[in-house]
Amino acid sequence: MGWIHFKAKLPVYKWLAVCALSLGLATQALAAAPYYEGKTIEVIIPFPVAGGSDIWIRTIAPYLQKNIPGAPKFNFRNIGGGRGIPGMMEFALKAKPDGHMVLVSSATNYFPVLVGDKAAKYDFRQWKPLLVNPVGGVMYASPASGIKKVEDLAKAKNLIYGGISAIGLDLIPLISLELLELDARGVLGFSGRGHARIAFERGETNLDYQTTPAYNATVLPLIKEGKAIPLMTFGQLDDQGNIVRDPAVPDLPTVPEVYEKLKGKKPSGKFWDTYKIFMPSGFAVQKILWIKVEAPAEALRVFYAAADQLAKDKEFLTKTDKILGGYPLLRGDRLEKTIQQAFQIDPEIQRFVREWVGKKYRVKFD
Amino acid sequence: MWDAALIALEQFANPVHWGMLMAGVMAGTVIGILPGLGGIACVAILLPFIYTLDVHTAMILLVGSLAVVHTSDTITSVLIGTPGSAAAAATVLDGHPLAKQGQAARALSAAFLSSMIGGLIGAVFLTLSLPIARPLVLLFGSPELLMLCILGLSFAGFLTGGAPLKGGLAACLGLLLGSVGSAPADAVDRYTFGQLYLLDGIPLVGVALGIFGIAEIIDLLAKGGRIAERIGLGHGWLQGAKDVVQHWGIVLRGSLIGVWAGILPGIGATAGSWMSYGHVVAMARDRDKFGKGDIRGVIAPESANNSVEAGDFIPTLLFSVPGGAPAAILLGALFFYGIQPGPRMVQENLDLIFTIIWSFAIANTIGAALCFLLSPALARLTWIPFARLAPAIVVTIFFGAFQSSQHFGDIYAMLGLGLLGWLMKQLGWARAPFLVGFVLTKPTEQYLWLSISRYDFEWLLRPGVIVMGLVLLASIFWTVRGKRRGKDLPAEESSEESVVLGKTPSILFTSFVLLLAAAALYEARSFPYLGAIFPMAATIPAIVMAAVQLVIELRTDRIAPGDETRKRTTTALEYFLSLVLYLLLIMLLGFGIATALFVFIFLYGWVKMPWFRALIYTGSVVGVALLMNQLLGLYWPQGILLG
Repeated sequence: MGWIHFKAKLPVYKWLAVCALSLGLATQALAAAPYYEGKTIEVIIPFPVAGGSDIWIRTIAPYLQKNIPGAPKFNFRNIGGGRGIPGMMEFALKAKPDGHMVLVSSATNYFPVLVGDKAAKYDFRQWKPLLVNPVGGVMYASPASGIKKVEDLAKAKNLIYGGISAIGLDLIPLISLELLELDARGVLGFSGRGHARIAFERGETNLDYQTTPAYNATVLPLIKEGKAIPLMTFGQLDDQGNIVRDPAVPDLPTVPEVYEKLKGKKPSGKFWDTYKIFMPSGFAVQKILWIKVEAPAEALRVFYAAADQLAKDKEFLTKTDKILGGYPLLRGDRLEKTIQQAFQIDPEIQRFVREWVGKKYRVKFD
Repeated sequence: MWDAALIALEQFANPVHWGMLMAGVMAGTVIGILPGLGGIACVAILLPFIYTLDVHTAMILLVGSLAVVHTSDTITSVLIGTPGSAAAAATVLDGHPLAKQGQAARALSAAFLSSMIGGLIGAVFLTLSLPIARPLVLLFGSPELLMLCILGLSFAGFLTGGAPLKGGLAACLGLLLGSVGSAPADAVDRYTFGQLYLLDGIPLVGVALGIFGIAEIIDLLAKGGRIAERIGLGHGWLQGAKDVVQHWGIVLRGSLIGVWAGILPGIGATAGSWMSYGHVVAMARDRDKFGKGDIRGVIAPESANNSVEAGDFIPTLLFSVPGGAPAAILLGALFFYGIQPGPRMVQENLDLIFTIIWSFAIANTIGAALCFLLSPALARLTWIPFARLAPAIVVTIFFGAFQSSQHFGDIYAMLGLGLLGWLMKQLGWARAPFLVGFVLTKPTEQYLWLSISRYDFEWLLRPGVIVMGLVLLASIFWTVRGKRRGKDLPAEESSEESVVLGKTPSILFTSFVLLLAAAALYEARSFPYLGAIFPMAATIPAIVMAAVQLVIELRTDRIAPGDETRKRTTTALEYFLSLVLYLLLIMLLGFGIATALFVFIFLYGWVKMPWFRALIYTGSVVGVALLMNQLLGLYWPQGILLG
């Protein structure tokens, strides 16, 4: 019977061992370091130092560090040039699934994909959005153009819009001009929106747009002095993906509203379809922080939690108000569907856009 | 307004603010000295620290560092002939020959003093123009800015040296290199050959470091020995100060040119310092010493490149439009504090504007003093056999060039242009017009494009355009008349022995330029009309000039280069190959290991340094690089085989 006794005891021994082991593991797990403790998160910025997206991430990173358990260090790598493509490719090729590398992107990075640039070989479906920050845009005109209020747009003659490039963010104002069938042309080649605004101030152009923060600081004073007339915003998206008034500039109508005002009907046609495709990626989901789709759930979770924390953090909200442009810093998972939809384009619309900018603004696609 | 100025000054009674200012000045001085790293690196490095400070303290730190970068970058330019930052390239032209003549102390003291005065004049001008700056900036439309750029380009004509034809060709090559990349308005990609790297054109840092830095390093290595013979520093310091007093007019004019280059959008520090250099050559009665060590050639660009930064604050603070990348980072820092610069800045944040102005002025003065203190020690570097200095310099240059876009293309471009610059130097081609052409291509083309697409050809009739057109004609007239009276244009230092390499290499090089221009013209036929204007403006004259030059060269007598020249050429090419090898090592093994191997092999195998000293040297270079990498978050080039 000795061996039976022994055999009977063995399971108990085993059970105890398993118990001890699991207890040990459990305590270890409880005391386990947070996922990012002692880690460095490398942020790829596909733009040179001091661009809008660069400043955006560098400003919010210290707050993220404070709110992510383990306080990971953020290291920034600017890979500028090449329309942002080299930076995007660096992330696409080098990021490992461990979530130690993240990427900042902006409208510049979405438009090459939307217009079918062959060099833009990155696929947004391989990544997940961690944080999203919408941006708004406001169009305004010079009183010298004869415009006193937005209804005057229809009969205004010889409007000149100053922009940077027909396949950058200017595409959206340029599409708006076509959609509204204005007597307007774009003069492109300015080296930045600020330079375009200076040209507006000195009377070289009479139609301009600025992103909301720049509008508030630099255009509102002009409006007060009677040197600029506010016209319309490009709008934002609601939860169902409809274009609605910009919450940061609620008094101004959106481009489709102005269309209705001028034409007396709902907007339709090719330019409207194009507007609906490009506006979201240009403004409504403009700045996105990405991580690889294979990244551990824990990594995603801490970023989302940090976003929730920051939404309640008074200091963060007041200090970053100007950088975030009066828009919230949103959790990526809430907007994932909208974002992935924003990067899908109907081949027919793509062809249409390419032909239009090719002909009107002499853009040569390879 | 003056109350605000005094209130802002009171802040400097606070020792914390003094400490921040000193920290900024120290950082700026060190980064300025390192070749290739300039204002951008400086502010980017300090940026993480400012998030814990209040806005005034942060501005004191940032502006303090920015203010001194263009004072200390002179040290490398003068002593080693390698521009400390792109804007200091103009100082190389006369400053480095002075150092070679044993007058480093004189050149440096003149440079620091004119830098400081330039900065102070800039600060005063900035203060006085605050109330009128906005309308002043708005006075300049695209056509006027275009004329200003063309005026700047015309200065290239004064920098052609004794060989106007070769100088003109060099300027055309600069224009051609400048038109690589997307044309303004994105209509067409020119000469990019499907390379993404070339879309935005070649970064200025790579071009300046290549054409002056690498070329000079190879040349110095091939010559052997040290940069200057060991003679006492003597009264050089005093002499430099006397020079500045004597040429006070140049300091004043240079500073004002600098301020304007900073105020007007799109001109920038590099173009500003070249314009200042060009203007002093154009106005000089005796020009034959320029390029061979004329102190005026040091004073002019140095007084401009600090005041540019002061001028730059006007578009940054009053229009929210940064003139250069350092100003852009400053703008970003202001955003962080919830301050969006713009028209209301003068009313709402006048105290902050004065904090910036005072920090700039005080840092400028302290920076110049600090550089004075550092220079006697640094000037002794010129007494060390150059081969021993070279590895550390080469490593810094490679690292600095790589920071601009983090692409190996930066290093290819730098090495390629280094070879080109060396050949130009050996064959008596002036390099200054090349850089002027390159720097001004982008703004000139942009404003040309904007002028035509906005005004068609009516822009030619605007009063400002006509006035500047007349100035342009007058300056051309003066040059031609001066030439007729037998006044020679300045020659770069190399052209004393002008064509070192002899007849055949000259002919080969000119033929190469001719072919290059022809091929570029052929490629340009597919560009749409505005995108083709610049490549054509560069290539058609280049083809004509190159053809004439070729005929001249074919008709000269054959002078066989001496044995020594042959030997020196071979050595130079060997040294160049060692740099290429270093690049290959980096690509294969990554920056860290490649640097260790390169430095050690260079010192032990080539310079015959005892192995333990070579080892200590290697260790310190790699250690410093590691420290930069760790502390400052600067990124290292990675290799294929090893990270």
